[in-house]
Amino acid sequence: MLSLAHLDKVYPNGAHALDDVSLDVEAGEIVALVGGSGCGKTTLLRLVSGLEAPTHGEVRVDGEAIFAPHPAIGFVFQEPRLLPWLSVAENIGFGLEHLPPGERRDLVEEALLKVGLAGYGARWPRELSGGQAQRVSIVRALVTRPKVLLMDEPFSALDALTRATLQDHLIALWEASQPTLLLVTHDVEEAAALADRAVVMQPRPGRVFADIPIPLPRPRDRLSPGFVEAKRAVLAALDGSLSQPSGGKSSKGSQSPAGSWW
Amino acid sequence: MQTLSQEPKASTRRGQRADSARPGGGFVYGLILPLAAALLYEGAFRAGLVQARLLPPPSRIAETLWKLAASGELATHVIATLLRVGLGFGLGAAVGVFLGALTGSSALARRLLDPTLQALRAIPSLAWVPLFILWLGIFEPSKIALIAVGCFFPVYLGVMGAIANVDRKIVEVGRAFRLSRLKLARRILLPAILPDTIVALRSGLGLGFMFVVAAEIMGASEGLGYLLVDGQQLGKPDQILAAILCFAVLGKAADWLILAATRPLLSWQDSFARSG
Repeated sequence: MLSLAHLDKVYPNGAHALDDVSLDVEAGEIVALVGGSGCGKTTLLRLVSGLEAPTHGEVRVDGEAIFAPHPAIGFVFQEPRLLPWLSVAENIGFGLEHLPPGERRDLVEEALLKVGLAGYGARWPRELSGGQAQRVSIVRALVTRPKVLLMDEPFSALDALTRATLQDHLIALWEASQPTLLLVTHDVEEAAALADRAVVMQPRPGRVFADIPIPLPRPRDRLSPGFVEAKRAVLAALDGSLSQPSGGKSSKGSQSPAGSWW
Repeated sequence: MQTLSQEPKASTRRGQRADSARPGGGFVYGLILPLAAALLYEGAFRAGLVQARLLPPPSRIAETLWKLAASGELATHVIATLLRVGLGFGLGAAVGVFLGALTGSSALARRLLDPTLQALRAIPSLAWVPLFILWLGIFEPSKIALIAVGCFFPVYLGVMGAIANVDRKIVEVGRAFRLSRLKLARRILLPAILPDTIVALRSGLGLGFMFVVAAEIMGASEGLGYLLVDGQQLGKPDQILAAILCFAVLGKAADWLILAATRPLLSWQDSFARSG
């Protein structure tokens, strides 16, 4: 459904963010991209969204190549990024401008209800807590019914309790329309709580290190042995990805300067 | 459809929030200082403590104002001055907004235009006066040109800076929702630059009043600036002070008008000034 083929990304400043990343995601699947900082997971997400273009390779959604932001793809940023001059309701309806006002209002009301913010529509974004704002930003992306939802560490700025609650909210929201969900995170627990699959990435340059299925039923019990085992597997892969000497070309590059100079 | 969590019903609605910090709402406080000073001086004058030949007491200024108003002279002068400021400010601000938007949004336009405009900005606006008089004559056009030049630069700088300061992350939201260039400008850039643009317009208008005095002092047969010169030449300090008082009131009122007209557009702002 969502297919990434041989994605390469080299930034103009020479930074090699991604090296030959390929990944296939089935419809309705939830995939967590896990990795240490600098492993290119955010870059990967931005390539899929069409906000940035790959140096090589291509992204396809249902066979259609993605070059620019596409109506079938929704994006939730790391920060809520609500527009401060629009009310909460107007923010949620931001991507629905093409609909007649009545229909738009109904969709927005329904969305507010779904995230437990009924009655908050007339408020300004500045009046929301961090968790509330992020919920609004998630439904803003979901209300247009995208086939693919991309999320870039959406809960990383929240405290642990809010984060766990919002993860449960997210799954409930996801169940309503079951979009394909690609989620970037550095939190192993988050990957185990949400994902059908954790793709662990390795830094410098960013590559896929391991692809770990998490075949647990939902709702997930965070204390069950299966959950703990899944966390351990992801964590082990993450440790491996960080301790592994970086791949071929760059390993020489990174070691030789200091070595040969002396 | 599932309701996830219940939070207490929101109680603050948009309609109710406008009443705090309404523009001019605290104007009573603002009047305390000038009124107290006026009363004090009046009292000192009545008690014979001050020699009032060069600084007439408030009562005499009020009397002069009243006479000017009764004869209809004051209205003529005020209208002449306001017309000049209005036309000059309108012209300068319009061009300033246009060029500021151009150089703010296009790197090419910035590289081509901005250095020249900055060099022109370095010229004191009054230096243009002889040229404007040669070109446009001694009547209205040269005065309005001077005011327009004075208003142009703060507006131009403000708008250009506002566009440059728009948060890249917010613009990216517009891109993620596939807004066209035009819609991006209307739905993201315009509201984002509005607060800074209003500040720029206010400082432009302030300079407009500054330059109208310069223009009218240099030669005019009506206008508040003319009252100033006339008062100096005929030794009427009460008339000078009456004109100055008019400037204070008009300038403040014009600024308040901009604030009041734009306040509904800015009620979303989350800033220090609003919480006070």
